[in-house]
Amino acid sequence: MRWWRRLAKRGEMERHLDAELRFHFDGLVADNLRAGMSEPEARRSARLQFGGVEQVKEECRDARGLAWLDGIVSDLRFALRGFRRDWAFTLASIAMLALAIGLNVTVFTVMDAILFRGVPLVKGNDQLLFIQERYPSGRCCVSYPDFEDWRSQAHAFQSMAFMADGLVPFRERQERPTDVFAFDVSTNLFRLLGVQPMLGRDFVPADEAPGAPLVAILNYRFWESRFGKRADIAGLAVQIDGAPATIIGVMPEGLDFPTQGHMWIPIAHTPALQQRGLTPGGFEVVGRLRDGASLEDARTELVTINRRLEAEYPVTNRNLFINLFSYSAQIAGENATRIFGSLWAGACLVLLIACANLTNLTLARTIGRSREFSTRIALGAGQWRMVWQILEESLMLAGAGGALGWWITNWAVRTWAVATASPYQVVDYTINSGIFAYLVAISIAAAILVSLPPIGRVVRMEMKGALKGDARGVTEGPRGKHLTAALVVSQTALAVVLLSGAGVLVRSFVAIVSADTGVRDPEHILVGSVRLPSDKYSIPNARIGYFERLDAQLRTIPDVEQEAVASALPAGLGNLRPFEIEGRPDQQDRGDSAHFLSVGSKYFRLVGAPPISGRDFDDRDRTGAVPVAIVNESFTAKFWPGEQPLGKHLRATDRSPPGEWRTVVGVVPNIMQGDLIRQSFKPLIYLPARQEPVGRRAYFLLRASLPRDQLASAVRAEVQKVDPDVLLTDFGTLKAHFAFDRDSMDAEHSELAKQAAVSPIFALIALLLAAIGLYAVMAHSVSQRTKEVGVRMATGAAGEDIRRMILSEGMLPVAIGIILGLVASLAVNRILQSQLVGVSSYDPITMAGAPVILFLVALLACQIPARRATRINPTEALRWE
Amino acid sequence: MTQSKSDLPQGTLDLLILKVVLLGPIHGYAIAQRIQQISRDVLQVQQGSLYPALHRLENRGLLAAEWRDTETGREAKFYHLTAKGQTQLKSETENWKQLAKAVRLILESSEADSL
Repeated sequence: MRWWRRLAKRGEMERHLDAELRFHFDGLVADNLRAGMSEPEARRSARLQFGGVEQVKEECRDARGLAWLDGIVSDLRFALRGFRRDWAFTLASIAMLALAIGLNVTVFTVMDAILFRGVPLVKGNDQLLFIQERYPSGRCCVSYPDFEDWRSQAHAFQSMAFMADGLVPFRERQERPTDVFAFDVSTNLFRLLGVQPMLGRDFVPADEAPGAPLVAILNYRFWESRFGKRADIAGLAVQIDGAPATIIGVMPEGLDFPTQGHMWIPIAHTPALQQRGLTPGGFEVVGRLRDGASLEDARTELVTINRRLEAEYPVTNRNLFINLFSYSAQIAGENATRIFGSLWAGACLVLLIACANLTNLTLARTIGRSREFSTRIALGAGQWRMVWQILEESLMLAGAGGALGWWITNWAVRTWAVATASPYQVVDYTINSGIFAYLVAISIAAAILVSLPPIGRVVRMEMKGALKGDARGVTEGPRGKHLTAALVVSQTALAVVLLSGAGVLVRSFVAIVSADTGVRDPEHILVGSVRLPSDKYSIPNARIGYFERLDAQLRTIPDVEQEAVASALPAGLGNLRPFEIEGRPDQQDRGDSAHFLSVGSKYFRLVGAPPISGRDFDDRDRTGAVPVAIVNESFTAKFWPGEQPLGKHLRATDRSPPGEWRTVVGVVPNIMQGDLIRQSFKPLIYLPARQEPVGRRAYFLLRASLPRDQLASAVRAEVQKVDPDVLLTDFGTLKAHFAFDRDSMDAEHSELAKQAAVSPIFALIALLLAAIGLYAVMAHSVSQRTKEVGVRMATGAAGEDIRRMILSEGMLPVAIGIILGLVASLAVNRILQSQLVGVSSYDPITMAGAPVILFLVALLACQIPARRATRINPTEALRWE
Repeated sequence: MTQSKSDLPQGTLDLLILKVVLLGPIHGYAIAQRIQQISRDVLQVQQGSLYPALHRLENRGLLAAEWRDTETGREAKFYHLTAKGQTQLKSETENWKQLAKAVRLILESSEADSL
C-alpha cells in the first residue's frame, strides 16, 4: 500500500489497532475471570498486566513505518489548534515575519538586479565592460581614434564597440520630421552583445563604410508606438537627419542598450569623429572581455596604450585618464556593491530582529506550555517528536509569513521599479525562480533560528523531568531570563544601528536637497524646457532668432515680469570647458576648466543675483559686438584673488582654433551650478546668449506674479505660437526642479537618494519590531509574576514601587542594547562615510537622536505591562494559588 | 520506550512469532498465550513488545492479517504467514540453530576449561 493510501486509511487503521488491543485486553479479563477473580478484580489485574495502551499504540504506529507522516498530520492539527487559541500571538508572529521577509526579499531582488543580473537579453553580462576617458577637468567621454587603437591593440578584449548618441530628425514621408533619440554605434555592437534582431537583419561592417547607404535598426518600443508593429518594416524607406535611409530590422522587446532610445544607426565616420582628443559626441565604449581576462588586466592594458598615445599626441591626449566600469558600476556608481550590500545587510538585521522577537514570543509560549510538554513526555512522547513539533510550528508560521512576504515583495519590487524608472538606467527587476528559492530558504532559516531556543528548553526539560516541578505555574529559571534579556539587548542594539544609519543617510540627503542655491525665491520662478527640432535650428542664428521671438511673445502675458533664456538651470550642470586667461598661457594639467553657461540678458536680475561689480549683459552683447563674459565670485576668488577682474580677458580652448578673447565685464554672486551634490559654488563663466547661443535644448525662466497653474496654458499657447514644432516639457517652478532630480544626478548619488528614501522604512520597521519584542517580553514577565507582585503588594508595596520595579527590569537590557548599538553604529556608519554629503558619519544629532527615540519607544512598550502590574489585585493574585 | 520486557535476545521474538503463526491463522492474544504455554511459562510476552512486533512483521510483508470471527463469535485480527514469511522463518530457524549450537559449544568448552 502506498503511503498516501495508508494515510487516507489512517482512521480505519487506528480503529483496527484499537479493536485488536481491546480484544487482547478482553482476553486477559476473560482468563482472569476463568481463574476465579471477580469482575472488577479481573479488569484491574488485566489493566496492570496490559500497561500503557497509548505507548503500545505509538510503537505499533512506529513499527508501521508511517509514524513520521502520522506524526506530522497530528502535530499539524495540534499546532493549528494551538494557533487558534493564541490567535494574537499567531497574527503578530505572521505579520512580523511577513514584513521582515518581504523587506528582505525585496532588497535582495533589487540588489540582485543591479549588481548581478546585468543588461536584460545580453549574453555573458559579466564579461561586459564600459569604458570612458576623462580629462582632469572632468570633461569626457571617448575619443574615436583612441577607441580604434584600443580595439586593435588590447588583447584583454574579444571585441569592442563604440557608442555615441543624439537627437536626429526622423520622418517617414513628407510630414514634418520629429526628433528621435538614436545611438550611433559600431556595426559589431549587437554581435558583441549576442543579441539578434527579431525582424530583419543585423548591421554588417559595410554599413559603416564611408558612402554606404544609411540604415537603421529600431527599438521594439519605437516600432510598436510609431509603426504599430507592422511586419513589413524591414526595407522601409525613411529620412534620418535629412538623408534617405532604410530601416533594416527591429531588436527584440526589452533590449535597451546602452539605454532607452528609438533606434540604432551605424557610426558616421566624419572628419570630426576622427579627431584626437575628447570632442562632444563620443559617449562610451563597451567591450567584451576575453575568457579569463579580468577588469584589472583590461585596465592595465588600456592605460599602457593610452600612455603610448599620450607620448605620441601630447596636445590632445595629455593627462587623459581612463575609467572602466562593470554594468553595476555603470548604472549605480562605483560604490554600488557597498551601497546595496549594506542595504541588504540592513534588511538581514531587520529579519534577525523579527526572529529574535518571535523567539521571545515562542519561548514565552513554550514556558506557558511546559506542562503540556512535560505531560506528553511523561506519557511517552519521544523527545524528537517534541522537537519536531516545535520546529513544525515555527515552519508553519514562517510559511504563512513567507507567503505574505512573497506578496509584499511582488508589490514592493513593482513599486520600486516604477518609482526609480529612468530612461538612463536599464534594470531587469523581474522576480524569478531564484528569488523564490531565496525566499523559501530564508523562511526556513528563520523558522529554524526561531525554534532553537525553545527546543533547547524542551530538551533540558526532559532531562530534568519538569513534571516534578511546580506544576501550578512553571516559572522561568534564571537561564531563561538571561536569554530573553539577551534577545532584548541585541534587538535594541540592531535598532540603534539601523536608526543611526538611516539618520545620517537622511540628513545627508536633506543636506543636498536643501542646500543654498543662491537663487532668490525660486518658488516664484517658473521654468520650462524647450527642445528645438534640428532641421530648422542647427544654425546658431536661427536659435538666437527663436529665443528673441519667444522672449517677445512670453512678455505679452500680462503677469510675466521678466523672462530669460539659459543653457542650464541653476543647480543643474553647466558645460565644463577648458579655458585660458590672457597672459597666463600653458598652465599645468592642460589648463583650467570652468562651467560655461549661456544666459539671456535678464537672467541675473531674474534669479536675484545682479552683478556686484561691473555691468549686466544687455542688448549690445550680440554677435559681431565685442565678445564679453561675466564671472562669478568663486571664479574671481580662485583665479584672480585680490585682483580686479573687470577688463581682463579669457577664452575657451576646446575648439581649434580657440575662440576670441572675451572681456570680463561683470562679476555676479555665486549661484549653484555644476556640483551634483550642491555642496560648493564652482567657478562659472557666463556668456551672453546672443553671442554664444544656447543649444537646441534650452530653458526659459519667468518671474511671474501668478502661480504656475494659472500661467501654464498661456505659456503653452505662446510657445506654440512662436513655433508649433518646438517641444515644451518640464514646465514648473524652479523650486520644484531643486527637489531631487535623479536624472541629472550622477549614478552614485542617485542610488544614495534611493537609499535615503528606503532606509528610514528599515529603521521604522526595526523600531516597531524592537518595541513589539520588548512589549512581548515584559507582558509575559508580568503575567508570570502575578503571584509575586500580589505578595509584594499584600506586604505593602505601593503601585508606584511595582511600576518602578517592572520598568527598571525592562529598561536595563534596553539601556545596555542602546550602548552596544551606539558602539556598533560608529563602526557601521564609517562604511557610509564616503557616500555622505554635508554630514559626518558620527553626526551628533543622529547619534543623540537615535538612542533617545529608541529609549522613548521602549519606555512606552514597557509602560503598558508595568501599568497592568500595578492593577494586579493582591487578593486575587494570591487566590491563584 | 524501555525495550525488550521479555528477556528474549533481540530478534528472537520475531522468530517465535513466525513459528507460532506457521501453525495456522491466529490472533495476537492467542500468540502470546501459545508462546507462554509452549515455553512452559518461561517466556512471557508483553503486549508492549508483541503488537509492535506483529505490526512490524506485517509491514515487512512476512505476515498478513485479516479480520474474522473467533469461536466465540467476536471479530479478531488473525495473522498468517506469507510465502516470504515462510522463507524468512526457515532461514531464521537455521541461523538460530547454528547460533545456539555455537553458543553451546563455547559454553561447554569454557566450562571444561575452568574445571
